[in-house]
Formats: sequence, structure tokens, C-alpha cells
Amino acid sequence: MDLVTTDVAATEAHWKGGVSPFGVSWQKLMMWLFLVSDALLFAGFLAAYGFERLASPAWPERSEVFSMAAIGTMTFVLITSSATMATAVGAAHRGDLRRATRFVLLTALGGLIFLGFQATEWAALIGEGASLTGNPWGVPAFSAFFFMITGFHGTHVLIGVIVLLLVAARVRAGRTSGSGVELVGLYWHFVDLVWVFIFTCFYLI
Amino acid sequence: MSGHTSYRTYWITWIVLLVLTLSMLFVEATPFTRILTVLFLLGAMLAKAALIGGWFMHLRFERPALWIPLVAGTLLTAAFLFFLIAVDGAAMQRMAVP
Repeated sequence: MDLVTTDVAATEAHWKGGVSPFGVSWQKLMMWLFLVSDALLFAGFLAAYGFERLASPAWPERSEVFSMAAIGTMTFVLITSSATMATAVGAAHRGDLRRATRFVLLTALGGLIFLGFQATEWAALIGEGASLTGNPWGVPAFSAFFFMITGFHGTHVLIGVIVLLLVAARVRAGRTSGSGVELVGLYWHFVDLVWVFIFTCFYLI
Repeated sequence: MSGHTSYRTYWITWIVLLVLTLSMLFVEATPFTRILTVLFLLGAMLAKAALIGGWFMHLRFERPALWIPLVAGTLLTAAFLFFLIAVDGAAMQRMAVP
């Protein structure tokens, strides 16, 4: 009975304000809200892609258009960069700034390698005559969605790399705390998370 | 929140993600039917998303008041969007085929 009374009192105290119902800083909460809104933007892209895919009587075989070995390597690099980012966040929270800086830089390197692969892939497709309005495989929407979705994701990776380099410099100078590294970490993991959906829906299914 | 997680846990998560990715890449080579292959790919995709969200983004350490609205809100809205828009495409294809 006492436990119930305590719970009710705690709940009432909660609703009177002055406490954090989500238990996170406002910066982290705002980052989460941004990530949710960005996730819904990508969801819109993929839903539109799904519409076009289901509406088209034919769709190019992706393994004949893309190098699946390169796509697999890109995915490997991005997943690895997520692991290095998580390690950087853990190190920053533990106050190990040298390790945090090193792993943030490794994460940025992963992002750059990913972008290199993506640039190569784009160049190969453009070289074969693919554009936003047409391609040699007979379904114009295919390349339009490819450039739009991977371009938007690649822009996120590029922004992430720039922010990571800035954060690495700040951590090295002792001007960014563990919470700061955690915020950029959330963004970077989100970029990886979105790629999981793009990789599956666009390249595999 | 990341203080709860050891470095080892991150790298074990990384290995599981890699195994899932490799299995997704090679599932086409198995004798599964198309439906089974797609179901496997969707399941592996959601498992990878859960690993990244739960372990790398530390959502499993957050309060339910935070992670339930975030995860359920995003997934339900995305699914709603998909079934409102994408499924219409299948109807259009049926209408287009004589």
C-alpha cells in the first residue's frame, strides 16, 4: 500500500513541473525530434519509391546495374564507422579524450570512404547514361529515385563528416563534453540506420 | 547513458550487424521463394535497425516515456505513409495491365 502511495505521489510531483519527464537534456531531446522528422522525410522518399516500384510493370535487376560487392563494402564501412562512433561516445563519457578524438576521426574517415564509393557509383551510372530523367534500363523513375534517395543520404553523410571533424578538433582542445560527442553520435548512427533501410529496400528487394 | 555499455558490447553488436548484412547479401543464392526472401530481408532490416537504435544509440537505456513515442511514432507513421501511398501503386499496375 505504501508503495502505491509513493508511486501516486511521485506521479503527481512529476506533473507539477521542475522535473524532466524524458530524463534527457533538452539538447538531446531536440536532436531526437530532429532525427524523427528527418526519418519521416526518408520514409516519404521510400514510400514514393515503393509506389513507383509497385506501379511499374517492370523494374531493372539491381545486380545487373550495381556492383553488389561495392554496395556490400559501403555497408560494411558505414556499420564499422557506427561502431567506432559508439566507442568514441563511450570514451568521451569516460573522460578519455585522446581515445575519443581518435575514434571520432576514424568515424570521419569511414564517412569519407563511403562517400568515395558513392561518388564512384554515381560516376559509373552517369557514364552509362543514367540521369534524373532517363536511363538505359528503360524505367526513368529508377535512376530518378536512385539519385534522389542516395544523393539525399550522401548529403547527410557529408554534413556528418564535416561536423565530426569539427567535433574532433573541439574534443582535442577540451571544448566538447561527452554529451556533445553523444549528440553528434546520435546523428551519425541515424545516418547508418537510414542506410539499413535504403540498402534493403533499394538494393536488395 | 553510454557509461552502461562496455566497448566490447559495441564490437559484438558490430559483428552481429555484419553477419546480418552478409546473410542479406547472400540470401538470393538460397532456394527460398521470393516471398520468403523478402520476409527474411525485412526481418533482418528491422533487427539491424533495433541493434543500432538500442545498442549504438542507447535507446534501451532511455526511459520508456522517451523511446516508446520515438520508435512507435516513427514506425507507425512510416508504415501508415507506406500503406497509404505505395499500395496504391499495385492497384495502378493492375489497371494498366490489359
